[in-house]
Amino acid sequence: MTDIKAEIDVLPGLDSSARLLEVEKLQVEFHTQVGIARAINGVDLHLDPGETLAILGESGCGKSVTAQAIMGILDSPPGFITGGAIRYRGVDLLKLPEEQRRKVRANHIAMIFQDALSALNPVFSVGFQLGELFRVHRGMSRQDARKRSIELLDLVKIPAARQRVNDYPHQFSGGMRQRVMIAMALALDPKVLIADEPTTALDVTVQAQIMNLLAELRRERNMGLILITHDMGVVADVADRISVMYAGKVVEEAPVLDIYARPAHPYTKALLESIPRLDLKGRQLNVIKGLPPNLTRIPGGCPFHPRCGYARDACLADPPPPQYQVDPVRTARCHFWTEVIGNEPAVK
Amino acid sequence: MSQPSSDEVVLETQGLIKHFPITRGIVFQKKVGAVRAVDGIDLQLRRGETLGVVGESGCGKSTLAKLLVGLEKPTSGAINVRGQDMTRLTGGALRRARRNIQMVLQDPYTSLNPRMTVGDIIGEPFDIHPEVAPAAERKQRVRELLDLVGLNPEHINRYPHQFSGGQRQRIGIARALALKPEIIVCDEPVSALDVSIQAQVINLLESLQDELGLSYIFIAHDLSVVRHIADRVAVMYLGKIVEIGVEDEIYERPTHPYTQALLSAVPVPDPTLRGQRDQIVLEGDVPSPADPPSGCRFRTRCWKAQEICASEEPPLVRREHSAHPSACHFAEERNVVHAVE
Repeated sequence: MTDIKAEIDVLPGLDSSARLLEVEKLQVEFHTQVGIARAINGVDLHLDPGETLAILGESGCGKSVTAQAIMGILDSPPGFITGGAIRYRGVDLLKLPEEQRRKVRANHIAMIFQDALSALNPVFSVGFQLGELFRVHRGMSRQDARKRSIELLDLVKIPAARQRVNDYPHQFSGGMRQRVMIAMALALDPKVLIADEPTTALDVTVQAQIMNLLAELRRERNMGLILITHDMGVVADVADRISVMYAGKVVEEAPVLDIYARPAHPYTKALLESIPRLDLKGRQLNVIKGLPPNLTRIPGGCPFHPRCGYARDACLADPPPPQYQVDPVRTARCHFWTEVIGNEPAVK
Repeated sequence: MSQPSSDEVVLETQGLIKHFPITRGIVFQKKVGAVRAVDGIDLQLRRGETLGVVGESGCGKSTLAKLLVGLEKPTSGAINVRGQDMTRLTGGALRRARRNIQMVLQDPYTSLNPRMTVGDIIGEPFDIHPEVAPAAERKQRVRELLDLVGLNPEHINRYPHQFSGGQRQRIGIARALALKPEIIVCDEPVSALDVSIQAQVINLLESLQDELGLSYIFIAHDLSVVRHIADRVAVMYLGKIVEIGVEDEIYERPTHPYTQALLSAVPVPDPTLRGQRDQIVLEGDVPSPADPPSGCRFRTRCWKAQEICASEEPPLVRREHSAHPSACHFAEERNVVHAVE
């Protein structure tokens, strides 16, 4: 088995001293009936082993599309990657032939999805679906694959794994299904795990179980974890770094403590002020006026300017704000980040 | 947040029960069991008050909402609205009584008919209750309603797909307000919306309450949202209320282990508290409501459970260590929201 694994690990150009994952100036367009939707307009991200990066944003901001592009599962057409690079240990995944790309998936980069019921095949037992990975990617026999499947179900703490391995997805509860998904993602020991809203469909008590499990597995395996979510509470509990996305761009990137204490982008600041908090009562909720932009008609200049309290003429003008270096580990795409970070009152 | 509620009770349920039969057989259906979705709910709603109902999926909160607005017939129990038992009314009397209690639904994408204009959607209640607004005044009333919920009255002839999620939920709210009800049952009204839009809708609901003196039953699984809007909170587990009290009592001094576990599981958006919060992680899943555990229904997941919990069901009453009603033999205060180890 080790031989096969070693063979798979050999990706041409793989450089173990290069960064685990690096996304540079990624651009994705969707060709729709009403025009070209620019879902991603130059996203930069990076991830190191053992680190949790949270991608935070509202629906339509491009966070799931980023994940799909990294994974290589973007529906194409209508989606097209029109520029940029996604480097895994120095290998540009976008330049790999499909056969190689397929080996990267699951072996190096794996993903878990929001809705585990629709991500699992309803007509095969979970044991069969887990075992399939070992049979196809590792050439194991049915029996060995089954043995490994039971070990995996044990790993994600599914009780009575030996009995449950023959059950079908509908026989599991929502939380247990998500555990099966995690088991499947971890089967081939990936170095990067992308979790796209892994707990959004779950109740809070189950959410806590799943997040704890993910954190534990990440620590044990020294995996890089990309957590995609819109829940600022979950992010505060698990993330090391946060990238906030708006209209297909990373508008702010910072370590978790900094961003909550002193947001540097007006969008981040407004988001933090608009969520009700369990431990605070009687605070007036701030409203972000207006709507996220239509991706086929993103406003010129800073895409957030129509909704922004700090906006003035400079924000309407192209080119859009560059990535200002707030400090060595933080960036923000706002001309007036010094005012935002200093918590100065908005101009309007 | 909202204006102080008065003592006048506008809605009261007594021993409200809804069991859905589980049947076997095709032609001759034999009842083999029942899903006890709502299993004995007593609650009171006062004028101008917001009662939050929280619980995990499958706890019966949406069935409760349907019972309250008369979309489901209860198996037994009474729903008194202004002294009238809704469950006993029929025909015209029921129709008139229903005007007074309206509903805002969860998903603004599926709860609006895509083939009807906004004007038709909001005006439809007037077709069923023509006595509320004479035909000539309807258009004007719809415009007023659009204005009331912060939409442009000019958009009366648009279709739902021309609006965003938040605007659609405003349309749903306008429809619920059309018949000038006193009570609105909101079933997860903001859970399908993005956070920035969620705040807009919550603020709208609050200002409408102040303006119109509405009473809300606010059903949600998001405990932070409920804390923000509710005056009193009821916590449901497997078809029963396990703890009820004013918002402060439930959030700052919860006494039922389930409430404590639920609150401690909610992530707080403050990374400085990470790893310091007193987190109770429950094992396992909610048992099936078709076959709930004997005695206390939470005992299978409870760390305090003893023999008495299996044999004797704890009633929802005030207790020695609980100033507000709590259905636990071993009720005891534990502040989990601010607890730092």
